[in-house]
Amino acid sequence: MSATTLGLNHQRIGAVVRRQAYVQRRGWHRWFDVAVWPVVDTVIWGSIGLYVDQQGGAARSGAAYMLVGILLMHVLYQSNIAVATGFMEETWSRNLINVATTPIREVEYLAGIIIVGLVKLAAGLGMVTLAAWTLYSFNLLEIGWAAVPIIGVLMLVGWCMALYVIGLVLRFGTGAEILAWGVLFIVIALSGAFYPIDALPDLLQPVSRSLPSTHAFEAARTVLDGHPLPWDRLGWAMVGLAVFAALGVGFISRMMRVFRDRGYISRYS
Amino acid sequence: MESAIVARGLEKSFRGAPAVMGVDLRVEGGERVALLGANGAGKTTTLMMLLGVITPDAGTIEMLGHLLPHERSTAMLGVGFAAGYLPLPDKLKVRELLGVYGRLYGLPDPDDAGDRALRRFGISPLATQMASELSSGQRTLVGLAKATMHHPRLLVLDEPTASLDPDVALRARAGIESLCEADGTALLVTSHNMTEVERICHRVVFLSHGKVVADGTAADVAAQFGRPSLEDVFLHLASEEL
Repeated sequence: MSATTLGLNHQRIGAVVRRQAYVQRRGWHRWFDVAVWPVVDTVIWGSIGLYVDQQGGAARSGAAYMLVGILLMHVLYQSNIAVATGFMEETWSRNLINVATTPIREVEYLAGIIIVGLVKLAAGLGMVTLAAWTLYSFNLLEIGWAAVPIIGVLMLVGWCMALYVIGLVLRFGTGAEILAWGVLFIVIALSGAFYPIDALPDLLQPVSRSLPSTHAFEAARTVLDGHPLPWDRLGWAMVGLAVFAALGVGFISRMMRVFRDRGYISRYS
Repeated sequence: MESAIVARGLEKSFRGAPAVMGVDLRVEGGERVALLGANGAGKTTTLMMLLGVITPDAGTIEMLGHLLPHERSTAMLGVGFAAGYLPLPDKLKVRELLGVYGRLYGLPDPDDAGDRALRRFGISPLATQMASELSSGQRTLVGLAKATMHHPRLLVLDEPTASLDPDVALRARAGIESLCEADGTALLVTSHNMTEVERICHRVVFLSHGKVVADGTAADVAAQFGRPSLEDVFLHLASEEL
């Protein structure tokens, strides 16, 4: 019997990591998420920022804002997409029954796809950093250690969003997959990844302030302006995150009950 | 020997339509039982409840002495499952696939266990092939290797030989029988092939409209319905199901 920590079986978690690694290795399209899109996004937003700089009308460096914005947006994007698509791989290959009839527990499965997600996140951020440095001579590492808690908050927000997406796929089937990307871009728009939330329409600003990711992006801009890390903003982000996470765990637990009660496993047989 | 399955009073409805109504099912350790019935009789729903994938509306399930749903993970360590209609996952070679499942079952040497399981079904040459590129017969045999690689105490099979060529079906049956005889593995299998059922199983349980309508040896059940064979009982009950 393999070792356990907090009741989690390491070998089973390792099996999920191994399975996802095979898919990543052989699924060429999977490399778009970690290698291609980060570079494409860096070019789009970095060039917009550079153009604004060249017009000379902005008080702050547009390129720096855009490039930091794209780095942090990719934290949210990669952490959400890696976990959500990790689960969806089982629905796409109709493998859900095979997995669900093994001894693996839901939390072990989730731990496995989160570990894979961490590796993909590191790869995606590495690509953005490299592209910003080689194409725009901008060193994103200059943000320093302040980036660590900001990235931590955004990563946790991304994982929580993946819980909601997986819950929706369990409840509504593969048609709900579009939400993995749709919800992500709504949250990115509302969180002010590339602009202060004052720039949003008045109607949307209260929604924006309620999102933990908004406070993380605002904290990053504050640091970029040369100020110390605003811990009060990060505190609000953590409070919002705790609520978001508790609701996410409750939601996915409820959706798993519904999935078993209504026999939705038959969708994948 | 400990009972492999003890299910009492299982009930399940979907959107108000009853699928399983008050099913009691007991499979003893080492016993081989066929769960039979026409399409829609409630066989697969019953299997899915026994495997903990569908929650019954009422009733209790003990698998290998473990009460579901709370002890599902522990119970499944001793259960193997395969279904003839399920595909194998993409982007994995057969040996890699078995290695993943061996780890999910907590085997100390999963790769070796996978190779031995492939040998049992005479399909060792498939080890290096992509699972998604196999023929349906090869896929079924690999699915059986996956379900038996951890030497389960209970094997649950849903239509394992459906739409297989006779030679592949024979190989599948031989592998299943050799495992059951060597390890004393209990078997619960659904099938539409009555000859296969009579050959492999000690007992048959017939479901009709979600209820158990017969339970006994093949000969007893045929006699109970006054029919010459199990096939005739099946046809008789299937005509009622429509």
